[in-house]
Amino acid sequence: MDRTLKRRLEARLGAQIQGPIRQRHDQTEIRIQPGDVPDVLRTLHDSVDLRFELLADLAGVDTGREMQVVYHLWSETSPDWLRIIAEPLSREDPRCPSATFLWTGAEWLEREAYDMFGIVFEGNRDLRRIFMPPDYTSFPLRKDFLLPDDAARSPGEGVRNVERPFAPAVVADDPAAGIRRAPAS
Amino acid sequence: MPTRPARTSPRPKRQRAPEQHRSEDDPRIMLDREVSSDLYEPIPPYPTRTEREAEFYTIGDGQMFLNLGPQHPATHGVLRLVLKLSGEQVVDVDPVLGYLHRGVEKICENSDYYHVIDQVDPLEYASALFQEWAAVLAFEKLMDVEVPPRAEYIRVLSAELLRVASHTLFMGFLALDMGGLTPILYSFIERDEIVEMLAALTGARMLFNYFRIGGVNGDLNHEFMSRLGDWMSRAAKQTEASTGLLNENEIFVRRARGVGVMDREMALRFGVTGGNLRASGVPFDVRRAHPYSVYPQLDFNVPTRLEGDSLARYLIRMDEVRESIKIIDQCLNNMPDGPVMAKLPRLLRPHPGRAWGAVEGPRGMLGVYAISDGTDQPFRFRIHDPSFMNLEVVPHLLPGNLLADTMAIVSSLDPIMGGIDK
Amino acid sequence: MRALPATFREQARAARAYAVESRAFALESWAGASLTDRLALILVPLALFLFVGAVVSAVVMLGPTIDFLRANLPLVRFVVAVVGILVLTIPTAFLLIYMELKVIARMNLRVGPNRVGPWGAAMSVVHGLKVLAKEDFAPTGVDVPVFTLAPVVTFLASVMTLLVIPFAPGIFGQDFNIGLLFFFAMGGLSVLGLLMGGWASFNKYSLLGGLRSAAQIVSYEIPLTISVVGVILLAGTMSLNHIALAQSGSALDWFVFKQPLAVLIFFIAATAEANRTPFDLTEADSEIVAGFSTEYSGMRFGFFYFAEYVNVFIISALITTLFFGGWTAPFNWPWPYNLNWLDASGIGAAWILIVGLALLVATDILGAAIWLFRGRRWSAPSAFGMGFLIAGAGVTVLIGLACFIALDWVQGIFWFMVKTYIFVFVFVWMRGTLPRVRVDQLMGFAWKWLLPASLLNLFVTAAAVIILNLPSAR
Repeated sequence: MDRTLKRRLEARLGAQIQGPIRQRHDQTEIRIQPGDVPDVLRTLHDSVDLRFELLADLAGVDTGREMQVVYHLWSETSPDWLRIIAEPLSREDPRCPSATFLWTGAEWLEREAYDMFGIVFEGNRDLRRIFMPPDYTSFPLRKDFLLPDDAARSPGEGVRNVERPFAPAVVADDPAAGIRRAPAS
Repeated sequence: MPTRPARTSPRPKRQRAPEQHRSEDDPRIMLDREVSSDLYEPIPPYPTRTEREAEFYTIGDGQMFLNLGPQHPATHGVLRLVLKLSGEQVVDVDPVLGYLHRGVEKICENSDYYHVIDQVDPLEYASALFQEWAAVLAFEKLMDVEVPPRAEYIRVLSAELLRVASHTLFMGFLALDMGGLTPILYSFIERDEIVEMLAALTGARMLFNYFRIGGVNGDLNHEFMSRLGDWMSRAAKQTEASTGLLNENEIFVRRARGVGVMDREMALRFGVTGGNLRASGVPFDVRRAHPYSVYPQLDFNVPTRLEGDSLARYLIRMDEVRESIKIIDQCLNNMPDGPVMAKLPRLLRPHPGRAWGAVEGPRGMLGVYAISDGTDQPFRFRIHDPSFMNLEVVPHLLPGNLLADTMAIVSSLDPIMGGIDK
Repeated sequence: MRALPATFREQARAARAYAVESRAFALESWAGASLTDRLALILVPLALFLFVGAVVSAVVMLGPTIDFLRANLPLVRFVVAVVGILVLTIPTAFLLIYMELKVIARMNLRVGPNRVGPWGAAMSVVHGLKVLAKEDFAPTGVDVPVFTLAPVVTFLASVMTLLVIPFAPGIFGQDFNIGLLFFFAMGGLSVLGLLMGGWASFNKYSLLGGLRSAAQIVSYEIPLTISVVGVILLAGTMSLNHIALAQSGSALDWFVFKQPLAVLIFFIAATAEANRTPFDLTEADSEIVAGFSTEYSGMRFGFFYFAEYVNVFIISALITTLFFGGWTAPFNWPWPYNLNWLDASGIGAAWILIVGLALLVATDILGAAIWLFRGRRWSAPSAFGMGFLIAGAGVTVLIGLACFIALDWVQGIFWFMVKTYIFVFVFVWMRGTLPRVRVDQLMGFAWKWLLPASLLNLFVTAAAVIILNLPSAR
């Protein structure tokens, strides 16, 4: 729990932080709008008292109602990990600015988030699928992903698609079957 | 003697094999010639969509594509590297992943918190305890669980043993990819000793399923301790002997020195962690930077080198083996008594929340981000794998080098495809 | 007995009828016969006729045939030598493959093959049979004539060089005046085979491997040949037989002491020529799956494989001949010693009877001894079998010893093989120990280091020959 980090973040980022800064164990968490991602990351990376130079993780999350992109950063100036949650991203058209301008390593992480969730990162030069085959149509880690539906639309059943850059969201026929709603947090 | 009946019908034709299924007739396959492209070779067999793909799959004069993998004797698992070669020189690389993708994250969303530990083992199968540790760290933060000190020391002990085993394996494979047939067998002998030790402790040789939320699954036993004592008495000398086989080998050194140089800025920009980062001059080790478990109380160095080439990456791991042996020694000396498992309810239902746990694996920082929604299954289980970030450097390290260096560089980054492809 | 269902009975009846029909070779007419039947009908009588004709003519013309052969003895000798060489490469390759497997295994702290024969000795034979039994196909897109000829060219290029190597005084294929030149000319043809294999396989890995190997072999041929010119200057002749004779005497006469640099250069260049580790990047299986032989399987691959091992034997033989005295013994023996009291002409064919009798007696004694003293574990037949083996080994050793003492060519072969296999062991040792050199390091080494060194060696040797006025200078 690094109180000084909380103060420094509020001083630097101020208006861009949505809601309170949460701290628990050794993690500090801030929430921002997806549009603010480049500014916030740039500030965190460059400012002298923050210097969050190591990108530890870039993950997509599907909360059932909306999508989030979660960044984890590490700095020498603080003993805490910093978690940045960029939300909300709509489920129909999830878009988020890319972090590749700062960390080239984010390219593959964003590809993975795209592949698993369908989140389109604007500014990523290479946004194509990384794990699934290139002509796959569904996004597996979404909460409304149902394997039988996916199998019915797969090449094994004779359906042949060449993927378009953004596939329309899939809504399951039986909402209660596969989706679990997150409790209000 | 009865006579044979006369043949009444013409002799039947010999059966032929059924007609092969022709790819022209299969509606599910798109043949190369159907794709309109003005490349000399229709790779990939679909239209390119991104900038980088178009840039890569445009071929210049005198260049050719060569697929290294996914079936290849030397890529570390099922990795496909599409190389753009100009003769023997690599011009560009496009790694294609996903051949080992098993959907571990999705499976973990549908498993109990106990079952997750079993599922997460085969990610970096050469060093399975580290994934378990990262997952367990994240869950313990979610559930606010105190781990008894004896369990912590046992965790460190087994993990450091596995680190030694993993680095020994790395050395063997690096030598094998360069053509030396002997070091890999020596490294398997050493690894076998350690793995048998851990089998006596955990019950399994490779996918241990040993760590639990709140401790470990069983105390030390007599067989483990006797094997460990045996091994410790020889460990230092054995390490010196095996590494001496390669360190002083002129051919190996000349092939690894100055090859695949990754400088400090590049390593940080790519999020590379572990031995690869430390070989480029950044002394970042999660055990020191963000200590967990009992590492603050243990005395060990973090070896760092400045060159950033394959040889430095190899030497750093050998240094780490020595440090690990020191840590194991300290653990054995300072092992406290007590329970090895915290008291937890049978059905684990943490409060809703989010937690991140990171450990220092043999290849780098292994992180787990777990979101709980109050049920007995994690809502989101995200694993950050170090080999994934390490492999991302490959398209920036390989160009300009020869095909023969491809293996030297990729092996020195020590990728394990299980972790990369989740 | 429960009755079988009706369908089963019908099926069984139909199957039996079909079997009966297809077994009967009843050919009713030419028009009703299939293609294979027609071919059989034509070829089998033709082959029989030819065979009978050949036997009759051989019997009738036996006398004139033998006179013809006696008149052209060199021709007969040549044919026998060539056939012997071609046939003996196979056991040599087998032995080398087995040796490599076992020796490298021991270096890797493993055991190697130990199931297939006594101590796994039949492993190579099994490998050979396996490649023979595999399907022989050419993948799609290959250039079939070139693809088929490539292993043949490689194999023949290697084997033809055995024609000039002297195994013993009097045991060699041909004693050319330009034997060494012939050797290098034939050895260089193997590049052609590798290039053909690399190009004709419709595969980029093979292409890379073939081109690498061509570049490697061509660049290492120059230091190879230049380093040997020093030996030619010292011996005064290019004939390998005479070079071996020029080193007779004692071990100090061997050229290794007079040409140390040349030995080193030759050894390294020959390793590169034979595509052995550390220069085996043509078949580097961690980069280009198997190099030029990626698309080869079955006996085609078998030929490449054999060619490689025969090559190892050949270069070891050449090193032995050029620098280590060939078939000469390391020290002066007072041999061959004339074993007059074992004069074969006096006793004649009764020798066979004596040997057979000795074998029988020894077998009985040993077998009985084994059976008596280890009665529980050995049954009588296996005890006598073991006794036979031991007796046979003993008799063979005695006969071999007698030949060794009495005949100079047996000695020659013995010393030649010992020295050659020492070098073969060194090559196998290098394979088990060293990693691979990178291709640009390899080429740089050949052109920047070996070539100047071999030229230096040549100049120094030539100067020494002139200054010291050695006999070969004339």
